[in-house]
Amino acid sequence: MGRYKQYIPDLKIYGITLFMLAGFAFWIKIIHIESDWQQAGLTTFSLGFILLAAYMTAQILKIAGLPLISGYIFVGILAGPHISGFLTHDMVVRLRLADDLALSFIALTAGGTLELQFLRKRGKAILINIFLQTLFAFALVFLSFFFMSNRLNLMPDLTEPQIMVLACLLGVIAVARSPSSAIAIINECRAAGVFTTTVLGVTVAIDVLIIVFFTLAMTVSEIILGACTGVDFRMVTVLTLAVAGSLGLGIVLGKGISLYISKVGHDLSLFLLFFAFSVFKASIWFNQFMEAHFAISLHLEPLLICISAGFTVQNFSKYGYIFMEAMERFALPIFVIFFSLAGASLNLDALRMTWPLAAFLFIIRTMGIFGSTWFAGILNRDPPQHRRIAWMAYITQAGVAIGLAQLAQRRFPELGDYLTTLVLAVITINQVVGPITFKIALKRAGEIKQE
Amino acid sequence: MKVTFALLIIIFLAFSGYHLTFRHFRLPLFARIFYLTGTEFLVLGLLLGPQFLNLVDAETQKGLAPLTALLLGWIGLLFGFQFEIKMLRRFPLEFFFGAVFEGLMTLALVFIGVYLTLAICVDIPDSFMMVVAITLAAAGGCTAQTGLAFLSPDQMATRQNTVKLLRFISSIDGLIPLLVFGLCFFYHPLTGPGESWPGGLWPGILTSLGASFGLLLLFTLFISHRRFQQELILVVIGMTMLTSGLASSLNFSPLLTNFFVGFWIVNLSRDKERIYQILMTVEKPTYLLLLVFLGVCVRFDSIGLVLLALVYCLYRVFGKFLAGFLVTRLNTELRKYPGQLGFGLLAQGGLSLAILLDFQQAFSSRISTAVISFAILAVIYNEFLSYYFLERLFKKGG
Repeated sequence: MGRYKQYIPDLKIYGITLFMLAGFAFWIKIIHIESDWQQAGLTTFSLGFILLAAYMTAQILKIAGLPLISGYIFVGILAGPHISGFLTHDMVVRLRLADDLALSFIALTAGGTLELQFLRKRGKAILINIFLQTLFAFALVFLSFFFMSNRLNLMPDLTEPQIMVLACLLGVIAVARSPSSAIAIINECRAAGVFTTTVLGVTVAIDVLIIVFFTLAMTVSEIILGACTGVDFRMVTVLTLAVAGSLGLGIVLGKGISLYISKVGHDLSLFLLFFAFSVFKASIWFNQFMEAHFAISLHLEPLLICISAGFTVQNFSKYGYIFMEAMERFALPIFVIFFSLAGASLNLDALRMTWPLAAFLFIIRTMGIFGSTWFAGILNRDPPQHRRIAWMAYITQAGVAIGLAQLAQRRFPELGDYLTTLVLAVITINQVVGPITFKIALKRAGEIKQE
Repeated sequence: MKVTFALLIIIFLAFSGYHLTFRHFRLPLFARIFYLTGTEFLVLGLLLGPQFLNLVDAETQKGLAPLTALLLGWIGLLFGFQFEIKMLRRFPLEFFFGAVFEGLMTLALVFIGVYLTLAICVDIPDSFMMVVAITLAAAGGCTAQTGLAFLSPDQMATRQNTVKLLRFISSIDGLIPLLVFGLCFFYHPLTGPGESWPGGLWPGILTSLGASFGLLLLFTLFISHRRFQQELILVVIGMTMLTSGLASSLNFSPLLTNFFVGFWIVNLSRDKERIYQILMTVEKPTYLLLLVFLGVCVRFDSIGLVLLALVYCLYRVFGKFLAGFLVTRLNTELRKYPGQLGFGLLAQGGLSLAILLDFQQAFSSRISTAVISFAILAVIYNEFLSYYFLERLFKKGG
């Protein structure tokens, strides 16, 4: 208790501030909104409220040793449509513009954090981790869900092949990670070292590979359901082109950023904000354009483009440090908005409906991650401490997993409701537990530089 | 998707344009006036808007409203930061008198002129007339420093005192016009004449002051600890959004509310320098975005607007000339300055435009669009006249 005494004055100020913020929020909610101008004001206020309340709450939770992003997510959940309703569904959708910007910005940071020099050193370890984690997480989730559903007859409406497809898709989605959460926590703790680099490398690489795995899983699912008879090579080609195109475009844009830094230099943070946002929106537009005009679903991945661009600036120019410094300038508001909105988007209804099954999947996935990181640690000859704690760094899951579930829902509408509800429920648990365990892992690995 | 692309284009152009406009750009005089005053961004906004490309249509404008509120709030904060009492006290008291008197006088003259013109020539509901007249008078009362940028170093050096006074006046003469503009928000023309004004004036003022005080207290609590730069950026952005959002939801001006907050911070906070640096980081892109957003709101669908703009411009020019003259005659300390002081106060930049945008957003209607359109045209006239009269002032007096 004694160690917390020093924080009492801070806590008083945080408490008063939050109380005042809540007072303003309550006041604005009882104002009669009539015009568009007032409605816009409400949205603006909500964004400001989320930004400040999440920041304050995170500061309070930080005293208890929790990571900042848990505070942001917690406020998002509280303010979101499922608890207080301060942020309505409509508002969360309207604020997606800020969300998209944040996601691309985080991806750019992710790329910039990967240093080739470290990756070369830990390349083998990263590859082994990716292989084993993908295998274990997929296999355990797939098998346990498939057998349990059959045994307990959890989904009487579905046929056996359909349950197998559902299990397969859940298995692949279980492999997905959340680079944004990883970056945010590493950033917060100023963590650096072998353990941190490995975790970051694995998380970002899985984020790239998951798109490939997922496409394969979709193809296999179609074969199981009889929708197609063999591997669609056209789809594989398009996928390869999309991934290669995204990475290639990222390299070109990364060179563009380097050029901007060398020739112009000033207002770099603003430029990068604009860049991240443009990449995200332009690639969505490009994808729609290709589908509408050429009937080709060549999906450039904005996150891959940004990761690749950030990686290029960091490793193939001499401006890596300037680049990262500029990214850091706006990193805090970006993280706060992104994770608060992520919290507000978490589907508590889905969790309420499926919590026993979601909890089961969470445990199974965590066991898969634990097993794979343990074995990877042995093969890589990592220190025993790293072996014991590595699993804690890979629990977080967010946007990509939701995106994959939604894609699958469109392709297999008959399974969509089950899949999306379950995925959303599991993500809710992972996103609440994951950041906390990750911070503990970094602490135990002794790689936290600043708290 | 349209909102996104409109936003992308606007930000890109504002961002790149700011580099072109404010850095290493040498052009012939006419083009320099055009560029330095940011007129090209108004034109650009007009092109993007519904009258031409329709890339930023009414629906898109609605989607961009939070950004508009943030912009207005940012400008309000910046203006509030001009009123650091410690700094102002370094100037002679008569400067302050000059600025306040000049702003008030111009406001009154333009108000009378505009009100009479609207009453005689234009078919606007009575309930709206007062709001329009106050807005135009408030926008007319403000002065920008852009005109002074055209002076040569020689002219500046030989007329140092006049330049100093002009600078002072143009940086703070918007105070009274802005406060008077705030009164418009207590009068809701759509609810019918006389219902809420002046009956609702005091409750409205008290609510707004109460809200401003609460927000100020909140801001003070946030910066009561010495925070890292990143945290301070978050607090400034968050508080500006919160203040702007609350003001808009209360049907009040984000510009004015943030002005109050800025005023208190600059006078009370020990972090004022750091906050000011943050505000200044995006000052120029902010002003250019403001120009683009205003340009988007403009519709030139009648030749009458050109004439109205001319009339409005003439009222303002007359108001400035007379106010400038009276300032240098009524105050004995200011008698040493030329009677044509008003010649140097014609440029009508940032704050005027922010007032116009604030008005357009809060009282959005067909009438406000027409008002904005001719007012902006008048702003452009003023910018061009400003150069001519400044030259005359510096040839004649000083």
